[in-house]
Amino acid sequence: MLYLQLLVNGIQTGALYALIAAGFSLIFGMTRIFHAAHGATFTIAGFVFYEFYAVLEWGLMPSILACAVAAGLFGVLLNRWVYVIIQRHEGSFFTVFAASFGAVIVVQNLISIVFGKGMVTVTTSLSRSVELIPGLYVAPMAFIAVIAAIVCFALLHYLFTHTNMGVALRALGENPGLIDVFGLNPKSLGNYAFLIGSVLVVPAAILTAATSGLNPAMGHHVMMISIAATIVGGVGSLRGAALAGLLFGLAENLSLAFVDPQWSEAVTFIILFLFIIFRPGGFYGRAIVS
Amino acid sequence: MKRLIVGLAVFQAMAGVAVAQDLKIGAAFPLSGANAEYGEIFASGANLAVEHVNADKMLNGNLVLVYEDSQGLPTQGVVAANKLINVEKTPYVLSAFTGVSKAIAPLGTRNQVVMVNGGGVGPDLATLSPYFWNVIPLANFEVKTMAPYLVKDKGLKRIAMIYVDDPLGDAALQEMKAELKANGGELVGSFSIPAAAQQFSGVAARVRDTKPDAVYIATYGNQQVQLVKQLRDNGVSQPLASYSAFSTPSMFKLPEAEGAIFTSQHINVDNPDPRTKRMVSDYRAKYGKDPNMYAINYYNAVLTFADLAAALQKQGKPVTGANLLELRKNTPSFDFVGAKVSFAEDGTVKAPIQVNEISGGASKVIKSAQ
Repeated sequence: MLYLQLLVNGIQTGALYALIAAGFSLIFGMTRIFHAAHGATFTIAGFVFYEFYAVLEWGLMPSILACAVAAGLFGVLLNRWVYVIIQRHEGSFFTVFAASFGAVIVVQNLISIVFGKGMVTVTTSLSRSVELIPGLYVAPMAFIAVIAAIVCFALLHYLFTHTNMGVALRALGENPGLIDVFGLNPKSLGNYAFLIGSVLVVPAAILTAATSGLNPAMGHHVMMISIAATIVGGVGSLRGAALAGLLFGLAENLSLAFVDPQWSEAVTFIILFLFIIFRPGGFYGRAIVS
Repeated sequence: MKRLIVGLAVFQAMAGVAVAQDLKIGAAFPLSGANAEYGEIFASGANLAVEHVNADKMLNGNLVLVYEDSQGLPTQGVVAANKLINVEKTPYVLSAFTGVSKAIAPLGTRNQVVMVNGGGVGPDLATLSPYFWNVIPLANFEVKTMAPYLVKDKGLKRIAMIYVDDPLGDAALQEMKAELKANGGELVGSFSIPAAAQQFSGVAARVRDTKPDAVYIATYGNQQVQLVKQLRDNGVSQPLASYSAFSTPSMFKLPEAEGAIFTSQHINVDNPDPRTKRMVSDYRAKYGKDPNMYAINYYNAVLTFADLAAALQKQGKPVTGANLLELRKNTPSFDFVGAKVSFAEDGTVKAPIQVNEISGGASKVIKSAQ
């Protein structure tokens, strides 16, 4: 029964990791920008939702909308006002990374100033688990997390296969140089990548607010999982990142049946190391022309 | 032009003389990161003390408290302490967190700088160095109070323990093992969690499996709030117990923490002595609530420095770490807020421990200190 419980927990955690990792992978795969501030987007989304839903009491749908607007706006503006400008002048990978990291620190401290440095949660009865069968406790949040993940990925799949913009984004990811030849604008496509990637954190941020709670420093853990999942899934593959996120969530929880909880973080990185050694391209890796 | 330059030089010299008289002490607190909430609380007490010392003109010159960010992490703590000792040249540093304190204590010993802890409670802190003092009773006292309370007073014999994987957690586990054995209880399970972990549904499942009567939590910061919430969300309905780290506003506000019990040092805020009255009333006026023991401990730590430094200045001796230590050893007692205390030979203070319960967003004493 413990295994079944851990499996269910793993699927819930994995669904959230998959969503966050997919957003980062989308941005990194399409624009080749190491958007370390993706964790900051997650933190902003969570706190904006908390502010509108729990403090101002605006209602669920308006709060979700506000959350999505805030996340998308942050991603796009960071791209336009920081990354694009750096790339115009010198565009070194590490300069962009340093700028991104700086953004994380600024966001963390701004949120601390506004919301305090402690933890806040959105209280809802949906996070309380019910004993479905003796020994198996599942909360309604778990079902919501999985359904939200499935819906988001279905929408993404539709976007990338049946819309012009989605196809253009995939082209940008595969060969940025050729984009200009076809008359497409890589800069505006980059903005769309940031918009979609940033809005993808919204379901995970809302679910985290209701289950584990929010604090200004929570972006770091999220970033580590995103980066690891992007590498394990293969750079440029959303499906891979999502699968890798799910794998990490499952591994983190199922390993608890065999080892002490203090090793659960190590399990994620052991998987990462194994992939780097034996399959560096990840699940769906492909050769990158640079 | 020449007159202007001469005038500026004279002005500079005068300003230089005034600054040289300032006495600097340092503080290595978590100002950012997952434990930043504690840094705010510690600083509220320390800053109030500095205000009072300067208002009373206790020292020749202004007392200045220089902050550096330890983030609650040992490596960052060492960076912060190095800066305070070597750049700011502070003879007295306020420390916090067991892990940080253990990491910076050797720096204090080597450089003869006094370090005072008012927040961390790992029992190892008693034996770090003659230059490392503690104004907070350490966790062995807290566990010694909680274990018999759970087993004998409440009849909860089977205890499951969740502890953070760091010096504090390890020390708390050893103490709990010994105390439960001595009091007729049983440790049915112990689960170590990484300090940066945020997901605990798996740990909750394993805790449920052990079927405990109560769950003891030994961690701190945002992690302990997340842990309590997720334990309750994942079907752990047994009573929760912990130590003084539970005294944070976020824990009190958490609906899932209702009914949790924790030990803390006993401080009588209604003590009629003038220091206590002034600290409590000024703190209430400034922050709109009573000071908790962390704020009071760091207030006491700063005042200990002020008392010792004032005495050294009267004797015409320089205010250095070595002199502060020597004088402390020869001072029989200090007027702390809440009680008159004496330092033991190893630099710790003894204080009675009380048991509190979180109820309605605040804490109330359910077993007063003996």
